[in-house]
Amino acid sequence: MRDNEAKLKQVLADIFGIDAGKVDETTSVDTVEKWDSLRHLNLVLALEEKFKVTLTEEQTVQILSYPLIIAVLGEHGVRF
Amino acid sequence: MDRKDLTDNLNRLAAEPAYSAYAAVANVLEGIGPKASGMPLFKAAVLRNFTLDPIIPVIKGEIALAGFYPEIYLGGYDTIAQDVFEPKSALYGFEPDVVILVQWLEALSPALTVRFPSLSNGEVDAEIERIADFTEELVTALRKNIGAPVLLNNFPLPHRPALGIMDAQSENHQSHAIMKLNLELLRRMRKVRDVYLIDYMSLMARLGSGSGLDERYWHIGRAPIGKNALVPIGQEYGKFFRALHGKARKCLVLDCDNILWGGIIGEDGPEGIQLGSAYPGSCYQAFQREVLNLHDRGVILALCSKNNEADVLEVLRTNPDMVLREDNFSSLKIDWNDKVTNLMRIAEELNIGLDSMVFVDDSQFECDRVREELPQIAVLQLSSDPSTFCSRLCARAYFDTLTFSKEDRTRNRMYRDETKRKKLRSSSGSLEAYLAKLEMVAAVGAADEASIPRISQLTQKTNQFNLTTCRYTEGDIRAFAAGSKTGVYTVKLSDRISDMGLVGTAIVKYAGEAAEIDTFLLSCRAIGRGVEDALLTHVLNSAGAKGCSRVVGRYLATKKNAQVADFFKRKGFSLVNESERGSDWELQLKGRTFSGPSWIKSILIEPGLDYARQRSKT
Repeated sequence: MRDNEAKLKQVLADIFGIDAGKVDETTSVDTVEKWDSLRHLNLVLALEEKFKVTLTEEQTVQILSYPLIIAVLGEHGVRF
Repeated sequence: MDRKDLTDNLNRLAAEPAYSAYAAVANVLEGIGPKASGMPLFKAAVLRNFTLDPIIPVIKGEIALAGFYPEIYLGGYDTIAQDVFEPKSALYGFEPDVVILVQWLEALSPALTVRFPSLSNGEVDAEIERIADFTEELVTALRKNIGAPVLLNNFPLPHRPALGIMDAQSENHQSHAIMKLNLELLRRMRKVRDVYLIDYMSLMARLGSGSGLDERYWHIGRAPIGKNALVPIGQEYGKFFRALHGKARKCLVLDCDNILWGGIIGEDGPEGIQLGSAYPGSCYQAFQREVLNLHDRGVILALCSKNNEADVLEVLRTNPDMVLREDNFSSLKIDWNDKVTNLMRIAEELNIGLDSMVFVDDSQFECDRVREELPQIAVLQLSSDPSTFCSRLCARAYFDTLTFSKEDRTRNRMYRDETKRKKLRSSSGSLEAYLAKLEMVAAVGAADEASIPRISQLTQKTNQFNLTTCRYTEGDIRAFAAGSKTGVYTVKLSDRISDMGLVGTAIVKYAGEAAEIDTFLLSCRAIGRGVEDALLTHVLNSAGAKGCSRVVGRYLATKKNAQVADFFKRKGFSLVNESERGSDWELQLKGRTFSGPSWIKSILIEPGLDYARQRSKT
């Protein structure tokens, strides 16, 4: 479980060029400067690669914050 | 962010090429900027007719892995033509080092892709022609405006062939139509300098179009390349970046135990190692074949192993299951010295840079040491599952180049020819039967102008089958050939397997009744086939034709030509004089005509004709 948390924080850090240690409940499209539509697509690709899941079209537009990503991954059986 | 962040992230990427690791490198690069990175700039222009944005971090990461700081120009969505055909476009203002041109067939030709069954055969052909024409116009315009190489994709086969199971039944159906289009592109691109094809067709087949393509993103954002294909496609471009910038490696340095064979020679003994046709020995044999293929492509091989030299040499020389042999290696460092020291010695000995080398070892310790001490060397640790060794060696394409030079090819061909001859030899009973099967043709005659450099080279280089070892310049040879009292004769050999060209020469001085053989030599490639007899026969008959009654021969001993000490004796000459330095011989012609060995067909070259033919070729 803690592994998945670290993994997710690292993905967000990689994609948005932020410090993994600073990712928390408040990390979202509104607080991260580089979170634009292009990087959002990169985020989807990275999440799917790292967690071996395939998001539905609806889910790809839902994951706009750290808590929302955890919720969506949870729907695919990824536990945090 | 600083250079250490960059180094750390690049190391992480090299160890695990995941999409997020590429994204991280791209972010760090952006953070520190080109100056602080300390890397030279590399500008790549990406022109596309669909959404290719997600691949950009991978392209950037690959450029950085090749040692450059990436700067990207991403052309607008489907604005290729505007960029390419307008000489003042932003593309040309960018002054790219490479142009990546990616066309997606669905966007280029909806007819061929989504409405295929509506097309007649003629319409299919016209569509192929149209796409090939357009693409050729693009690359021709690019070539006219800039010198940068162009990387152009071909097209993947359809994931769902238009006619279902019928599709494969005719060359006019969709799958074959796209293959035809790809072939046509290849044919057109070969006419334009510095255009290289990125083989999307094969790439997608290897990845599986089901996982390489993503229909969701095609519909959401015209981004057809799926997450599983982004990294492999980006890496494919990386191979070209390295090859285009001379970053291809030249030398493969291999450990022995648990790399070339299973087990440890020092413990299991030369007989106890795992190597052969049965598992797991078969994995090591397959790996050796892969290495031999690299050797044939022109890659230099070296061994660096902590072992008793005699043990390893015994395996290299006598183990029947070995694919690689002693003479495949240009350098052997088999001792108990530190590997870092030995790697530096190999580089020095072969006169190559450390950055040309790839080091393969199973030991974590050795690999870490080399990474630490000699970071220029690419290190590949191969341990556990030996069945994966081949694909792991090939994965990074260390040795891929965009040329396959004449030298590489010749090396290849000579190797192949020799293999064929060996096969023929093993299927023939006696040596004579083997020689007869070769169907040799010896073309003998007087030297012509075109042969003079080669004749001079042979007198300079030939040591073993050389009766007098006189070294002559081209000027010397030309004077002998033109002189009225001298003659230069040559033999060119071909057989059913290959044409070996000029392999032997004789220089004769005429003095009244006597013809004196000043030089008689044969290239070592042609020894042991009786071709010297064809040449000698010609020398004797020429002397007879010039009215000589005897032929004089001389053997001058050197450290290397002992094998021809009794040459004249074997050919029926009588001994006149003998000393430590050599011997003098003589043969009375008595008006006889001589003939060469039965298994060689001798033909006489008219020097004038030959000279004319050589001239007309050049």
